[in-house]
Amino acid sequence: MSAPAGPLHKHDFLLRRLHSLSGLLPIGVFLIAHLTTNSTILWGAANLRAGDNPFQRRVATFQEEVSFLNSMPGLLLIEVTLWLSILFHAVLGVYYIRTGRGNAAHYPYRDNWRYTLQRLTGYFSILFIFYHIATLRWGWSFLVPGGAQWSHHYASSTLAQALQGSADGYTAAGLAISIFYFVGVSCVVFHFANGLWTAAITWGLTVSQPAQKRWGYVCTGLGLALMGMAWASVIGFATLDPAAARRVENRLLGETDPEPGDGRAAELDQQAGPPFKEGG
Amino acid sequence: MALAHAHSPTQRRLNRQAAKPGRTIRIRIKRCDGPGKPSRWEHFDVKVERGANVISCLQQIAAHPVTADGKATTPVVWDAICLEEICGACTMLINGRVRQSCSCLIDEYAPNHGDSITLEPMSKFPVVRDLWVDRSRAFEALKRIKAWIPIDGTYHLGPGPREPARPQLTRYTLSTCMTCACCLEACPQYTIEHDESKWDASFIGAHAISQVRLFNSHQTGKQLAPDRLDILTGLGGIASCGNAQNCVKVCPKDIPLTESIGAIGRAATLHALAKWFSGPS
Repeated sequence: MSAPAGPLHKHDFLLRRLHSLSGLLPIGVFLIAHLTTNSTILWGAANLRAGDNPFQRRVATFQEEVSFLNSMPGLLLIEVTLWLSILFHAVLGVYYIRTGRGNAAHYPYRDNWRYTLQRLTGYFSILFIFYHIATLRWGWSFLVPGGAQWSHHYASSTLAQALQGSADGYTAAGLAISIFYFVGVSCVVFHFANGLWTAAITWGLTVSQPAQKRWGYVCTGLGLALMGMAWASVIGFATLDPAAARRVENRLLGETDPEPGDGRAAELDQQAGPPFKEGG
Repeated sequence: MALAHAHSPTQRRLNRQAAKPGRTIRIRIKRCDGPGKPSRWEHFDVKVERGANVISCLQQIAAHPVTADGKATTPVVWDAICLEEICGACTMLINGRVRQSCSCLIDEYAPNHGDSITLEPMSKFPVVRDLWVDRSRAFEALKRIKAWIPIDGTYHLGPGPREPARPQLTRYTLSTCMTCACCLEACPQYTIEHDESKWDASFIGAHAISQVRLFNSHQTGKQLAPDRLDILTGLGGIASCGNAQNCVKVCPKDIPLTESIGAIGRAATLHALAKWFSGPS
């Protein structure tokens, strides 16, 4: 009758519920906001006040979003909270995954496949999110093919460059990164939508089978919408011409710069990594 | 067309209609001489008539324990009591999935001459011998959650409170649980634990969660509700459920186990909040 000691075991229920909660808030809520922002690279074309042609409007809308986020007070606090939440969710998640043994091969029910998929997408999401934050936020450009450094002044062009492998378009390694992103965002969205469905049972929101089914439709709808935004983001940046985007951004910087020609753009260029070829 | 290894109810019904009387089928059995001993496979050819079930085939093998290649062997051991799917003792893996062997008709599983059926002991419990396993952990779980109604006292307690009719209907289904352990065998979160001292810290299982719902919704039984919820909000309690929902699909009694998990999930949330804000009840 000896229960294992230690805070992990003593507070198992609390930690499991916090694990569930952290997936919804702040991670899930942030995911929705993040995908909404990033997908502007496609639907920004409909933001008619942002520019003269659809390409300009896409780049300008995304840039506006990025600049807005960068002007938020306490941004670092928000970021650190998110990183710690993701770390907490990931570490406990891996620990919990290892307490079970999937058996979808013997019991190939749809729910059971989702159980297995939830865990596989969890593992892949950890890998993807770590790479995503390390390269684009912490500036670990040695992990990026072509070594592109993301700059929030040149948000679209540097991101397109990071995904495509070079400023001139695709390299083989760039293609691999784009595919990695496509799979990565798909895993994250599935993990969130399915997690939202199971969390409702865990917390006791949905009890009866019809209620679980109804909530399943809600989660599927939200999941499909988020999947659309996630794919729009990846496709948007993977097909964006970095050089053309850079020209739009230069114009935007010129417009917002109080004293053009004071060398600020050049300074920013330097931060942004390898120089771009004009034209093309 | 009659197909062996069928899992859908429709195909099983078709198999039953098409089954050929007097055919010989092969039964492949995973055998083990005792706890800790290695397992081996033995094959038996059995002549079956209409309506034969797995148990009647095992009885034939016991009467004539000779393998398909003519070697004399020991009779296969299995556990069985009621032979009408209400005790749960004869639960085993048939073609890789858990169910009771008494209610498993050969016509549904092996309708043609030469078809085979695979029998294995449950994998989540220690094997006693051959197809017989020790399900003690499942019964210990029922003791932990006090799966009874407290009516004993040093004086006459008088009549209990009146039971409303509607919860009785829900409880009737829940009360048909026979602790056969199908839900545990199919659960990816329930893993074999040989060390008895670790049972209390390992996942308690869907059957026990559903029994908590049964007894906590009874007017007298709910006196022990906080005790039961303390167990389920502890290590290995309801939070260890991974929502794979296999339990409800393999339950031979059609007990809405996932609804019980949802209902107890809600009760556990409220219980934990109440405890956190106002202390133990």
